[in-house]
Amino acid sequence: MLRASLTVICAAALLAAASLTPATVFATPAAAPAAAVTHYTLDPAKSSLEFVFTQAGALNKGHFARFPVSLDFAADNLAASRLEVGVEVTSLDSGDKDRDDTLRSADLFAVAKFPQANFSAAQIVKTAAGYEAAGKLTIRGVTRDVRVPFTFRTASEQGAAVGYMNGKVTIRRLDFGVGQGDWKATDQVGNDVVVSFALRLSAATH
Amino acid sequence: MAIRNTPRRWGAVSQFLHWTIVVLIIVQVTLAALADNLPNGMHKLTLLARHKSFGITILALAILRLLWRRLNDTPELPDTLKPYERFLARFVHSALYVLLFAMPLSGWMMSSARGFPVSWFGFIQLPDLVPKSKPLYQAFLTTHEALAWTLGAVVILHVAAALKHHLVLKDDTLRRMLPFPGKNERT
Repeated sequence: MLRASLTVICAAALLAAASLTPATVFATPAAAPAAAVTHYTLDPAKSSLEFVFTQAGALNKGHFARFPVSLDFAADNLAASRLEVGVEVTSLDSGDKDRDDTLRSADLFAVAKFPQANFSAAQIVKTAAGYEAAGKLTIRGVTRDVRVPFTFRTASEQGAAVGYMNGKVTIRRLDFGVGQGDWKATDQVGNDVVVSFALRLSAATH
Repeated sequence: MAIRNTPRRWGAVSQFLHWTIVVLIIVQVTLAALADNLPNGMHKLTLLARHKSFGITILALAILRLLWRRLNDTPELPDTLKPYERFLARFVHSALYVLLFAMPLSGWMMSSARGFPVSWFGFIQLPDLVPKSKPLYQAFLTTHEALAWTLGAVVILHVAAALKHHLVLKDDTLRRMLPFPGKNERT
């Protein structure tokens, strides 16, 4: 009986201590168990999403003009951080109209059927060089697991909080079916495509 | 057959360069004609990639040829030529040399202006000679085509003259660019 009462008292004391601790140690009104993430959206004018591919043995470059980004990020709360990128594939620009038309055609990006490519990552981890977002990349209707390394830094510009996110990842176009028929051959158009991004993100004001 | 030229005969190096370039030009015309009739696609891309690589090869061989020419005797033109024929022969030979450089260079610049960098068979990516520009591309495309027709005309004169020497005049002008010795040759 005595032992039972003691157990109850101890448990109650522990509970009280646990619930009191955050409030007493971090005595700020906004204090929470984990840091709040900041919501960022893309500043399209100052951001780029490029791809580099091999054509006829030479490196060629292109970019996407429209690719909305939604990033929830806090360096001290990666568990709640997440990244969503939607790429309007039809906004591709390889610097040559004929080539762009070919890229949009059914055997390559098939934009009529798959106008959107997506990257969705709910798992962001710290690495030696920065961060890595592990998520699902969907291109031409095919979804694959992809890890995207990136760096992130925040800045204050004219009173506004901004984030700079940079990174580069190599993907294989044929993993996503970008290249049907003749385009499955990789001797003239390489399988590896280096996708790089330099994003300027605006923090949402609360 | 001697490696070097003599005053009467082309040596092995000159002959090799001459006939290799002949073969490559035939390949070039074939590739260009085939690619011209194709819609944009992998097949066209492949043919044009080869065309560019062979073009760069011809440019390199043309440089070697010019260097070798400077380091060697040039066989003399036949004594039987009239002054205007002598002038015409020199003019045609000079034009061929100029075109051996102008053709690949205009093609290379055309690719650069189009924004499609040139690679030599996928081994080396060559630098862009001119900035990317649509009007520039059009200008080099027109130039490349005009030079191709000019080359065709000059080659016809060159071949016709060689055949005239061989079949009508029956001298050694053509034979001295061939590996087997001529019948009138003193060696």
